Amino acid sequence: MILRNGTLCPDSRLPGILSSLEEELGKTLSGPPLEAETVIAALETLGKRLERGELDALIARYVPAGLLEQLDGIRWMLRRESMEYKLRVELGEDDGRRPFGGTLRRPLGVLLHIAPGNMAGLPVFTVVEGLLTGNLCLLKLPHGEKGLSLALLSLLTETEPRLAPWIYAFDIPSQDTASLSALAALADGIVTWGGDGAISAVRALAPPGCRLVEWGHRLSFCYWSGWEEEDRERDALARHIAQTEGLLCSSCQVIYLDTEEDREAEDFCRSFVPALERAVARRCRTAGQMAQASLYARETWLEHLTDRADRKETLFRGQGCTVTLRPDPELELSPLHGNVLVKCLPRRDLLRVLRRQKGRLQTAGLICSPEKRARLTELLAKAGVTRITRPGHMSEAFSGEAHDGEYPLRRYCRMVDVER
Amino acid sequence: MLSRQKLFWLSRPYDLAGTERAFLRAVRDNCAYHIRHCPAYRTLAEGEGFSPEQVRAVEDLKRIPAIPTLYFKRHAIFSMPRWRRCFEVTSSGTSGSFSRIRFDWGCVLAEAPMVIRLGLLHGLASPVPAHYVVLGYRPDRKNTTGVTRTMWGLTWFAPPLSRHFVLERREGVYVPDLEGAVRALEKLSRSPFPVRLIGFPSYLWFGLTKMKEMGVSLKLPARSRIILAGGWKQHYQEEVEKPRLYSLVKKVLGIPEDHINELFGAVEHPIFYNTCRNHRFHVPAYARILIRDPRTLEPLPMGETGIINLISPLMCATPTVSVMTDDLGVLEPGASCGCGIASPVLNIIGRVGLAGVTTCAAGAAQLLGEEEGL
Repeated sequence: MILRNGTLCPDSRLPGILSSLEEELGKTLSGPPLEAETVIAALETLGKRLERGELDALIARYVPAGLLEQLDGIRWMLRRESMEYKLRVELGEDDGRRPFGGTLRRPLGVLLHIAPGNMAGLPVFTVVEGLLTGNLCLLKLPHGEKGLSLALLSLLTETEPRLAPWIYAFDIPSQDTASLSALAALADGIVTWGGDGAISAVRALAPPGCRLVEWGHRLSFCYWSGWEEEDRERDALARHIAQTEGLLCSSCQVIYLDTEEDREAEDFCRSFVPALERAVARRCRTAGQMAQASLYARETWLEHLTDRADRKETLFRGQGCTVTLRPDPELELSPLHGNVLVKCLPRRDLLRVLRRQKGRLQTAGLICSPEKRARLTELLAKAGVTRITRPGHMSEAFSGEAHDGEYPLRRYCRMVDVER
Repeated sequence: MLSRQKLFWLSRPYDLAGTERAFLRAVRDNCAYHIRHCPAYRTLAEGEGFSPEQVRAVEDLKRIPAIPTLYFKRHAIFSMPRWRRCFEVTSSGTSGSFSRIRFDWGCVLAEAPMVIRLGLLHGLASPVPAHYVVLGYRPDRKNTTGVTRTMWGLTWFAPPLSRHFVLERREGVYVPDLEGAVRALEKLSRSPFPVRLIGFPSYLWFGLTKMKEMGVSLKLPARSRIILAGGWKQHYQEEVEKPRLYSLVKKVLGIPEDHINELFGAVEHPIFYNTCRNHRFHVPAYARILIRDPRTLEPLPMGETGIINLISPLMCATPTVSVMTDDLGVLEPGASCGCGIASPVLNIIGRVGLAGVTTCAAGAAQLLGEEEGL
């Protein structure tokens, strides 16, 4: 299905729509601009309906049960205060006055969003960011999208018909590069979410001069130095690992210990297994979930035996989880699903080792004594990390936070200098 | 590997007690073969402290390294070189990745008496020629999935007069043609020969629901049968209770409940499980099943739900002697069924963890076997 000007039409009309798109976009862009307030008010109305549970049935049609709870955790994003705060933080309160005259902040124009299929709601979220900055948004729906984005965007245009000409959504398969190139040719910027494959594909598609905004995949880790309120922090970290299963950009893949002592690292692993076991048991509410965790843990154990026989790693087994102590310091993907890596990384090596993953680093959960915190924070920031949190909060969304080290709304705008 | 042929050629199909010695013997030999010929399996056995001599009694089957199907999806491991294989198949890869399983000639030889015996016992084998409508893929060189092979194999239980496939490959992709199948069934309902409908249960359900909406009500010739294979796969959430499916079959096709056979099996464990007249799966003599605790993976007593662990010494080319499936199930005493077959009943309850996988951790999509692209 295609969403165009607030109405859904069949995919068969794509060629016709594409051929008249340039003219349509031009008409919208030359008319009155899209005010942030229009977007905020519409989202606020929608957010209230969401909070009253009116949209639960609609969302439940498209999203598995477990994800509904995840969505609960980000409902606050739809509140007026959060959105206004986001605009203020990201765009600042610059009055634009300059010695030469003034600087105007204007939307980039047309944004093509290539949205990921791995997280429900994200395609809509990225479009909303585009709209908040006054852009006309073309959305390429992710492969396998079951209709949630179309339903939510239609709802948005129903709530506020003035938004209708500013939102287009296309269900174009990735192989249809001709149609995607046609969309890219009309865009001032392309916003891509996805792994290296998706990002390279978009780079090949984008005409020169088109601004590329890439939200690639990331790796996150925990840095454990010293022993401040050890038990509580350990449990919080274990809960985070069990809950996110290592699948998010912000999920802890490796627990780095600020030590060189193997013995100390082994002791840590031994103490971490029971905490992780408890956290996994808490996450797994059904026999099926528990079985899946156990199967993944067994898989990790078997792969440890057959694939890494020469790597001198030590695996500590728990019920539905494993902790693997690896001798090298590299940041890498864990075996996921409650199976985490532990490595020694003394402070003095931290920058050198983490720099090898520059451009991929995201969150560091930091556990240390209060007097060390400022220094270690500085060191992690220097190494290229873009979020530093308490270990239990690694995957939590904070109001006003940047995204992978940038303020997205700024990327969706351009500055126009005007001489007096 | 004579012990394997003995087990498969000489066993009565559901005589677990009487085949115990032969089964254990064949399992020991099979494990020893894999340990000798498959380095990965040898490493696993060593890592788990397992040696074939430990399998003295049925209780010892739990000691055999049980390999999750996920392991076969991520590792192509074999105990025979390619040139010694009979053929190779892949699992259907519902979640995007698939297992590669190599079959040896001895395995095919051992399967023959099992399939014939069970086919006769469950009324699948018939000398009366039949027309086949397959709610599955038309086999071709590019399609190596086990289920396609199985469905093709099933079209030989009665001499085939014709075969109609619902999933045809057009320009490289499979397109379902339910309307074509409906037309074929309407035509065949006037034939003097029975019709055999073979397919995924989900396709049957969708097809029949659509036919009912179209107002189709046929009376297929007497002795027509429905043979369901392949499980619900990606349509698991739509799985319907069996009685609803049976009554729909009766209503739309005029086939009575006792002419519906269901099959169960996996490419990693190609044992020919058939439903009895009460539509239950009994464990045949060629396999043993353990139900393992979802938390500890220890075997559970009969009646408790856990992960299904399938054990059989059938294959030499791939070390699939003990496979942990992604399915949850429960075993019940055979007597509770009432069909007269004494071996335990396997109830398949569902797939483990169905929630969609969401990932943006760098490199995770590749690990999980998801396609990467735009």
